[in-house]
Amino acid sequence: MPEHAPHHEDSHHPGQHGQHGHPDRPLRLGVCGPVGTGKSSLIALLCRELAATLELAVITNDIYTDEDARFLRSAGVLEAERIRAVETGACPHTAIRDDISANLLAIEELEEDYDDLDVVLVESGGDNLTATFSPALVDAQIFVLDVAGGGDVARKGGPGIERADLLVVNKTDLAPYVGVDVPRMIGDARAVRAARPVLGLSRTDRASVEELITWVTGILASHRTGALIPRDPGPMARHSHAHQH
Amino acid sequence: MHHELVLMLLADARLPVGGHTQSGTVEAALAHGLTAHDVPAYLRTRLRSVTLVEAGSAVVARHRAACGGDLADVDVAWAARTPSSALRQASRGQGRTLRRLAGLLWPEALAPLHDLLAPSRATVLGAVAAHLGLPAGSLARLVGYDDVQTVCAAALKLAPLDPAVATGWVAAALPEIAALAAEVADLTSPGEIPAVGCPQIEVWAQAHAVTNRRLFRA
Repeated sequence: MPEHAPHHEDSHHPGQHGQHGHPDRPLRLGVCGPVGTGKSSLIALLCRELAATLELAVITNDIYTDEDARFLRSAGVLEAERIRAVETGACPHTAIRDDISANLLAIEELEEDYDDLDVVLVESGGDNLTATFSPALVDAQIFVLDVAGGGDVARKGGPGIERADLLVVNKTDLAPYVGVDVPRMIGDARAVRAARPVLGLSRTDRASVEELITWVTGILASHRTGALIPRDPGPMARHSHAHQH
Repeated sequence: MHHELVLMLLADARLPVGGHTQSGTVEAALAHGLTAHDVPAYLRTRLRSVTLVEAGSAVVARHRAACGGDLADVDVAWAARTPSSALRQASRGQGRTLRRLAGLLWPEALAPLHDLLAPSRATVLGAVAAHLGLPAGSLARLVGYDDVQTVCAAALKLAPLDPAVATGWVAAALPEIAALAAEVADLTSPGEIPAVGCPQIEVWAQAHAVTNRRLFRA
């Protein structure tokens, strides 16, 4: 394991996490949200769409460590060695928030093994609505819901739904089968997110895929200029706008 | 800083160094036939073998760091006494996470590690203990206590147990932890570090490293 001090290891100011960008290293993009909403599929989609133009790698956090990693490897969207699983000791929530050591270690090893990476995607283990990434772990985060989880989930809010950098309402193609009104669900999400973006996504809806790619490339561009400041969705409710609907 | 407070800080499971990802090989042990009933004996076995090596290495690293000496041969001595590559790799990963934390909180503590690419957890912990003024005996008790809590916390996730029972195991192991500390607290040179492997734990650790669907790193 070669010595390669991560950017912040040299810092004498531990309080600085989350207050400045890191344009000198690959973008770290988190994907979180409840179990079964399509996080792994969204990452596979991003790899399929972006691997031709960007150098990508993926870290998965899972209950049984390598389930998601194996899914992604079998999807064949990225060489297997670029997809690594992190053991979370059955605490996927802790591993992305309270103690990010194992994830940082895995990211640093990937960055050492592939020195031309553009983006490291970090997938959280499917957890509840309160789990979000620490701003010391990722530069930006996508929170994923799906229509099959129920049309009222977006309205209920929560830190990821309200304040993740992007909220994806996934599997919109399933709406007719589960009796969910997609425009209303997206409207509910917009109501709790102020101006933050919301995207209704389906693999079969090409326009929605293009919209996702545009958002990711925009975030990457912002990261490269140093303008992207990690923003913490936090676990705390912000009462000033949490109940506007 | 009062050394008791330093000890509490370093022993706290909330210290963000990835402790929750470790099982002290109890996940592999349970998968290979050990039962929850055997955990207290498993704890004693570790305290007399792999954990004794780790505690001895940490104490010698602390001594060397406090004297301004070189830690490279301490790390080599630890590696020579840790034949399982899976356990060495897990420890070097933990060493790296502790080194990162110390780099943010106590950067001067890392000076003795300057020439080391991937020191073990014991080596890094020794350097941190020297910097923070943690006495050798306290450091050895920390290593022993942390190992016992790691195994018991993981066992709680893996086996159907009352949490109070697991805490009872920790309490019952305290005299054994004290005995471990007494054995290594006065060590000062790498050659004195106990060389007591536990082949069964090492074999389990090797098997665990290539297992699918594991919860813990090692």
